[in-house]
Amino acid sequence: MSVSSSISGTKLTINISGRFDFAAHKDFREAIDSISSNHINSVVVDMRTTDYVDSSALGMLLMLKNQMGDSKDAISLINAKPEVKKILEIANFGQLFTLA
Amino acid sequence: MIPNPSSNTSGSAPSSALVVDDSLPQRLLLSHMLEELGYSVTTAEDGEDAISKFNDHRPDIIFMDIEMPVMDGINSVRIIREILDDEFIPIIFITGGSSEQYLNECIDVGGDDFIKKPFNTTILSAKTRSLLRIKELYSKQIEQKREIEAFKLIEDQEHETAAMLYENIVKAGYMESPNVRSELSPMAMFNGDLLLCAYTPANKLNVLLGDFTGHGITASVAAAPASEIFYGMTAKGFGIREITEEINTKLNKLLPPHMFLAATLVCLDRETHNLNSITCGLPDHFLFNKKTGEIESLISNNLPLGIVPSADLNLTESHTEVTSSHRLFMFTDGVIETENAAGEPFDFEGVTNCLTTDDSLNSFDKIINALEKHQGEQGQQDDITLVRLTCDFDHGKWDIHEEIKKTVSMEPSSWKVSSTMDCNTLKRLNPVPAMVNSLMEIQGLLPFRESIFLIVTELFVNSLDHGLLGLDSALKQTPDGFAKFFELKQERLENLDHGDIKLMFSHRPQGNGGELTIRIQDTGRGFDEKTVYSEVTDNEQCSGRGIRLIRQICDALEYSDNGRQATAIFTWENE
Repeated sequence: MSVSSSISGTKLTINISGRFDFAAHKDFREAIDSISSNHINSVVVDMRTTDYVDSSALGMLLMLKNQMGDSKDAISLINAKPEVKKILEIANFGQLFTLA
Repeated sequence: MIPNPSSNTSGSAPSSALVVDDSLPQRLLLSHMLEELGYSVTTAEDGEDAISKFNDHRPDIIFMDIEMPVMDGINSVRIIREILDDEFIPIIFITGGSSEQYLNECIDVGGDDFIKKPFNTTILSAKTRSLLRIKELYSKQIEQKREIEAFKLIEDQEHETAAMLYENIVKAGYMESPNVRSELSPMAMFNGDLLLCAYTPANKLNVLLGDFTGHGITASVAAAPASEIFYGMTAKGFGIREITEEINTKLNKLLPPHMFLAATLVCLDRETHNLNSITCGLPDHFLFNKKTGEIESLISNNLPLGIVPSADLNLTESHTEVTSSHRLFMFTDGVIETENAAGEPFDFEGVTNCLTTDDSLNSFDKIINALEKHQGEQGQQDDITLVRLTCDFDHGKWDIHEEIKKTVSMEPSSWKVSSTMDCNTLKRLNPVPAMVNSLMEIQGLLPFRESIFLIVTELFVNSLDHGLLGLDSALKQTPDGFAKFFELKQERLENLDHGDIKLMFSHRPQGNGGELTIRIQDTGRGFDEKTVYSEVTDNEQCSGRGIRLIRQICDALEYSDNGRQATAIFTWENE
C-alpha cells in the first residue's frame, strides 16, 4: 500500500497503490489535510494501481468528501479496476462522487 | 544514563552488592574494591548463608564463589533464582583455578557473567555497571508488563459489561421467526454486523441486516440507536421505508463522517405475498426459487445509511412477488471476501454454487460448510453473517407469532377523537400508523388492529390522492399508468401548498363489543365516488381494490359532500 499526492494549481491528485484499507489511513489523512491550506477546489483520486478497497477505505473517501463540502463534482474517482469499481458501485458511491 | 555508577536510577541510595566467598581474604578484598566503587556491601561465607543474606537484604547484584563448604555456589544460585521468579538480579560467578570446568553449569542455573581472580578494578566496575543497567531495563519492562496486564484486565471487564449491554439492546425487540435462519460469527467480542427481526402489528415480518464500518466496539456502538428505531417503529406498524429513513437520520447525526451502516431492510407480507426490500450498500443478495432453481439478484441501489441527510437519500424500494418456495439469502461482505490459503475470495459463486433444488439438501448448511472449508486454516478475517429468509406463508409459520400477542379484552366505552393534518404535515409523513396506534392504547380494539389499520389507510390514501391531489385513478388502469400515477402523486404532493385532511374516530359500546365510526374529510375539490371507485371486475385491474376491501371489512361505507367526506362503520364483538 502506498499513498502519494500532488497539487497542481487548485487541483489535488491522490494516487493509491495496492490495498486501500485501514493501513492507508494515516497517509490518506495527510494527503487530504493539505486541502484547506492550498485552496483546493477539485480532487482526483487515481485508483489505477489500487487492488482492493474495503469499508474503511470508503470511510476515508467520505472523510475527503466531508472536507470538500457538498459539491458532488469536486471529487472524481478515476481509473478504478473492475473489482474496485464493483465495490464503489455496491455502496452507490456514484451518488456522491464522479466515477470515471 | 546512570550518572553515578553505583547508584540505582530510582534514587540516590547506593546500589547494594552481596559478596559470597568462603575465603575471608577474598571476601574482604572484593568487598573493599566494591565499597571503593561506591557500593554498599553485605557478605556471606557459603551458599546457605548467601540465601539467608539474600532474603534479608535483597541486593542489587550478587558475586558468588563456586566451590564452598555447606552449599556450593551453583546450588545456591539455583535456589535464589527460584525465589526471584520473574524478578531479575544479576549474578556474577567468581572463577579461578579448578572452577573453570563448571562454567556451563553456572550459566545453566542462572549466572549472568564471570569475574576471574585476581580481580581487576576496571573490569569489575565495567561488568557491574553493565549488568546493573540490564537489571534496570528488565525491571522497567516487568513493570510495564504488569501495567499492561492490569489495564487489560480492566478493559476486558469493561468490554464484557458493554457487550452484555449491547446484546440486551440489540436483542430486546428481537422476535424469533421460523422463517428466519441466521449464522453470525463476530471477529471480536462486539459484532460490527447487525441482524434485527420483528413483526409489525399487521403480522408483516421486518428484517434488517446491517454491517457497520470496521469491527469491534466502535462498530457496534451505533447498533443501539439503530435497533431501537427498528423495533420501536416496527411495533408501531411503520413500513421499511420510514424505518430506513429514520435510522439514516439518526446515524447521519451520530456517526463521524467516515462511518456508515451498509444495510438491507426487507418486509415479508403474508397478505400480498410480497417481498419488499431496500438495499443500501451490502453485497448482492440472492432470491432463490427452490422449486425451479431460478436465482434472482437483489442488488444494492441505495447509499449506505448515515452518509447523507434523509432528504437526499431518494430511497429506491423493490417489490417482488414471492411464493412459498422462495428463499432470500442475505449476507455481509465478510462472506464473499473470505479468502482461502491461495488468497482467493469465496465470492458470489461460492454462495450460488451451494444453492440447490435438491429437497434432501439444505442450501444454508451447504453455504456454511463450504465457507468453513474455503477458509481452511486461515482463520476468520471479518465479521461474517449469513441470513436465510424463507418466504413460507404457511399458517404454522405465522400463527406462532399471533399466539404470542395475548388478546386482552376490555370493557367497551364511549369516546371521540379527531385530528387534522395540514398540507405540510401530509407532505412529510404518513400519519396513519401513529394514529391507529394511539387508538390501540386507549381502547380494547387491539385484536382488530389489522382491520382498522387497513380501513384508515385506504380512506386516507383515497382522500389524499383523489381529494387533495386530484389524481385520476383511471390512470391506474394499466401497469405503465400505475408507475405514472405514483410519479404524478410524488410531484403533486411536493407542490401541495394548501388543504388539509381531518380524521375523526368515535366509538360507542354495543352489545358485547362496540361500534367504531371512522370519518374522513378533506378540503379538496371533491369527486364523483362512482367514477373513482369503479367496481373491480377482474383481479388484473390495478385500481379500485381499496374501496372493495373497506366494504368487505366494514358494516357500512358512505361518501357524502361530493366525495369530500367518507364515513365507515366498523363493529366488533368480544369472543
